[in-house]
Amino acid sequence: MTRLGIFTRGLVKENVVFVLMIGLCPALATSSTVRDGFGMGLAATFVLVFSNLIISMLRKNIPNEVRIPIFILIISTFVTLIDYMMQAFQPDLYRALGVFVPLIVVNCMILGRAEAFASKSSVMESILDGLGTGLGFTLALTVMGTIREVFGNGTFLGMSVLGESFKSAPVIFLVMSPGAFLVIGILKALINKYVKKELK
Amino acid sequence: MTSTRQMIVTLVIVAVICAVILSFVYAFTEPRIAETQAKLTLSGLEEVMSAYKYIEVVPGTLWRAVDSLDQEIGIVFRVFPQGYGGPIPITVGLNEERKITGIRIAGAAEGLAETPGLGVKITEPGFTSQFKDKSGDEVALEQDGGTIHAITAATISSRAVSEGIRKGLKTYADYLEATYDLGSVFPGADNFIEILPDTLWYALNKTDTMGIVFIGIIQGYLDKIKFMVGCNTKGDITGAAILYSQETEGIGEVIRSEAFLERFKQGEPEAISGATISTQALINGVAEGMQKYKEYIR
Amino acid sequence: MKSPALIFLGAFLVNNIVLMRFLGLCPFFGVSSTVETATGMGMAVIFVMTLAAWITWIVFNAVLLPLNLVFLRTAVFILTIASLVQLVEMFLKKAYRALYNALGIYLPLITTNCAILGVTFLNVDKKFSLLDGTVFAIGTGFGFTLVIIVFAAIRERLDQAPVNPSLKGYPISFIAAGLMALAFLGFTGLFGLT
Repeated sequence: MTRLGIFTRGLVKENVVFVLMIGLCPALATSSTVRDGFGMGLAATFVLVFSNLIISMLRKNIPNEVRIPIFILIISTFVTLIDYMMQAFQPDLYRALGVFVPLIVVNCMILGRAEAFASKSSVMESILDGLGTGLGFTLALTVMGTIREVFGNGTFLGMSVLGESFKSAPVIFLVMSPGAFLVIGILKALINKYVKKELK
Repeated sequence: MTSTRQMIVTLVIVAVICAVILSFVYAFTEPRIAETQAKLTLSGLEEVMSAYKYIEVVPGTLWRAVDSLDQEIGIVFRVFPQGYGGPIPITVGLNEERKITGIRIAGAAEGLAETPGLGVKITEPGFTSQFKDKSGDEVALEQDGGTIHAITAATISSRAVSEGIRKGLKTYADYLEATYDLGSVFPGADNFIEILPDTLWYALNKTDTMGIVFIGIIQGYLDKIKFMVGCNTKGDITGAAILYSQETEGIGEVIRSEAFLERFKQGEPEAISGATISTQALINGVAEGMQKYKEYIR
Repeated sequence: MKSPALIFLGAFLVNNIVLMRFLGLCPFFGVSSTVETATGMGMAVIFVMTLAAWITWIVFNAVLLPLNLVFLRTAVFILTIASLVQLVEMFLKKAYRALYNALGIYLPLITTNCAILGVTFLNVDKKFSLLDGTVFAIGTGFGFTLVIIVFAAIRERLDQAPVNPSLKGYPISFIAAGLMALAFLGFTGLFGLT
């Protein structure tokens, strides 16, 4: 597979949220606004890329029997790193994302890529894989965040986009929990209908 | 097949490296985090009542607001009443007249969990500005007998806010009075009634007025001197105390000494040589105050 | 401080872990195709969640906090959970073989169940006492089990219903879950709970 192929695979064909359907918890919980979804996506991408990098670098030295605990140690180090950096430099985002920042450590996509790819591939390929998968995740969260914030709150990144009268009476439930389920359900249905054929 | 020993060693090495990296990260970010927190708190306080300095009395809950002369101009307190979706963090500024100078309700980014689009409207100026200049039982919803107009369809959130503030007023407003130990300059009085905020009180025993207590500020040698004096109805000084002074250590600071302050009870004392400016300043200040509040000394 | 009963109710219904807090979604969708598997998973989750909450609370309050090692929280908690699941797996294999076989691959899957780790974090963030924390974990576990079983029942029926091909599978499941979430929203304010 070409280098570019590795990258686009994670981004589109095997998009974590819309195709593989893993990493759903943060996808639904943090996509109520564009900023939160995008921020969460980037944070998870950071962890994914760096843990892929380190695991790939160390892949020849990690004994097979204890590989999972070691993966977990490496991943949680980067998660704690981004946790504290966010607290220090982006406190508003941190408060909005809440418990989901440390929960990045159990985002199946990260452990999944480490096990399935990074532990068996070169450093460069692992980085590309991490970037593709992570950005695919970010893309999915941002799309959902856009739909939910624009129609559920009348704003995009906090700026009013559909006029004041809409803003005072938007489709509120979209930013609440049932809305998240509905949006992803409809998006998935649309993808099933229009996109599946092209991917085949 | 790797030996058990190799496995454990690798595991331990990785664990130690990770722990070390993280302790660096922690050391690096911890001061930054504390700084951001402090800035956030300060700006929150300034928003409700501007002052020269805020002195934390109860961590995270109560501050004294003072001006550049260390004179108290009010208090700022925080309450966290339970709203519709969770606790609502409210910061309230209260001036010496027990009137609200302003309130600030934390937004969703800081943890507010009220209904989006409805309950969160409590953070908007349209609602919060209603609380300015109100005091006591005025702070209640119209439907509860007060003067605050609730947000339509967000009564629970609105009520939580006004009740939370009203209760906060009851709890903390007393603090405005308790700052000065008035009894220390007027032994024998068991009650004091404020006449001029932070400046003049009647000293009473049961219901009999025994005299007054007043606070004055005068320029000393190095800095201002803030003093408190008790005076009975006969015009005799019952006690004197220094609330604030920054005179020369060992010289001017003699004004704080028991011996010197006692002399005020026997009439106007003499200045102390070597510390003339400081002591004379205090003597003048006391005399000025007695003159100013003469009419209250019945 | 709330009474344990209220904490239980809050975790069970009002702030349901799956429908309101969005934790535990992967197994929620992945292990709910039949009521049988859902029940098995639910039981396992209650067990592991309570144990994990217990152990991590003790580790946090007795070790991390006094030694000023709070920043190691994430790593320590997840490793504790992973080890706990391993131990439970080994124990069941030896002592309760039937149950072990019934749970199958679901047991190791619990490690990545964000609900378990989520509960351990929430426990600490809310500064619960050991008792309150245990009640919180049990309530959350039951909340998870309740919704996963109900959802499985709905899915069993959905699988036999004539559904538009694009909606079949995940989409209609999500929408069904959304309706369940809508229903659970109604619990807000129950007994004064938020």
